[in-house]
Amino acid sequence: MLRLALVFLKIGVAAYGGGWTIVGIIRTEIVGRAWMSAEEFAKLVAMAQITPGPVALNAATLVGYRLHGLLGAAVSTLAVVAAPVALSLLIGGFFAKATKSGARLTEALKTGTIGLIAMTVWAFAPAAVSSWLNVAIALTAFAVSAFTRINPLWIIIGSGVIGAATRAFFG
Amino acid sequence: MNDPSPPVKRPGFFSIFSFFFGISAITIGGGYVMVPVIQRALEKRGWLPEDEFYDLFATAQSVPGPLALNTAMFAGRRVAGLPGFLAAFLGILLPPFAAILLLAALLGAIGDWPVVQGFLDGAFAVVPGLTAALAFNMIRKRRWTPLRAVLTVASAVAITLAGTWAVPTFFAVVAVSAFAERKGAC
Repeated sequence: MLRLALVFLKIGVAAYGGGWTIVGIIRTEIVGRAWMSAEEFAKLVAMAQITPGPVALNAATLVGYRLHGLLGAAVSTLAVVAAPVALSLLIGGFFAKATKSGARLTEALKTGTIGLIAMTVWAFAPAAVSSWLNVAIALTAFAVSAFTRINPLWIIIGSGVIGAATRAFFG
Repeated sequence: MNDPSPPVKRPGFFSIFSFFFGISAITIGGGYVMVPVIQRALEKRGWLPEDEFYDLFATAQSVPGPLALNTAMFAGRRVAGLPGFLAAFLGILLPPFAAILLLAALLGAIGDWPVVQGFLDGAFAVVPGLTAALAFNMIRKRRWTPLRAVLTVASAVAITLAGTWAVPTFFAVVAVSAFAERKGAC
């Protein structure tokens, strides 16, 4: 339990770049430590996506719940937001004064954040090529969210329905 | 446009809490969906004009953490000080926490049904596409210089290979690129 808290504290500190980057870091930490299998984690991400609220928080809560029940859910959620909340309180105003050094830091963070998202893409890419249907779904999701302003939720739900129908009709 | 708008009566803890609670409870799809919803709702209430909101949003991005949560906390503090900050924190956090626990309990009961399994598999199948699109957009929107390109490729390779050392590697990369940017080499 203590290790769970420490891992999520660490994740929170580097949680730059928004939800999916954070999900990628959580995956690396949790699957990398063999606390959960890649398939289990994939199910969990699917659930986190279709629940209201920030996807990264949902994923953190679910991992905690799966590993240590209700208390684990509370611990992982609070641990993952601890650093962001503390930093927002303490130095939020400091960053706001966008000086030249602020701009440099922003660029440096971008370099790191693109690295993190690359790791996330790399981690999830194998799932896209496991079947022809998944290839098609992944390409559609990419096109819609890169080139249109359609809410990705519709793709997620649509793809979920396709998945359910496939399973229902073809087993 | 630039008249110093007299601050409307500062909303209290509970009105801010219920404001963010409502948004968090009904908005599905993470930060990039929630942030515009928060912006429009704040403007509609007269709590925060649009340009100020986007200043806060830029600041929120310089702090780690879920984008929607950070943005809400900064907006809450701007509107009502520390109580507003806490109200936003709790308002964003509680609904998904409750929803997740309900869903997890529900899936404990029906999670083995093939149709439910199929739905979750399908919902997960979009993730590679969504994350790739996110990377694509970040790469497209950045102002590139040769050194930045080299550093970013190195950063991607190093962090991907780092496994559970990804977080320390991330900070090493940020430190190195901050140094490189300071040198004005790029």
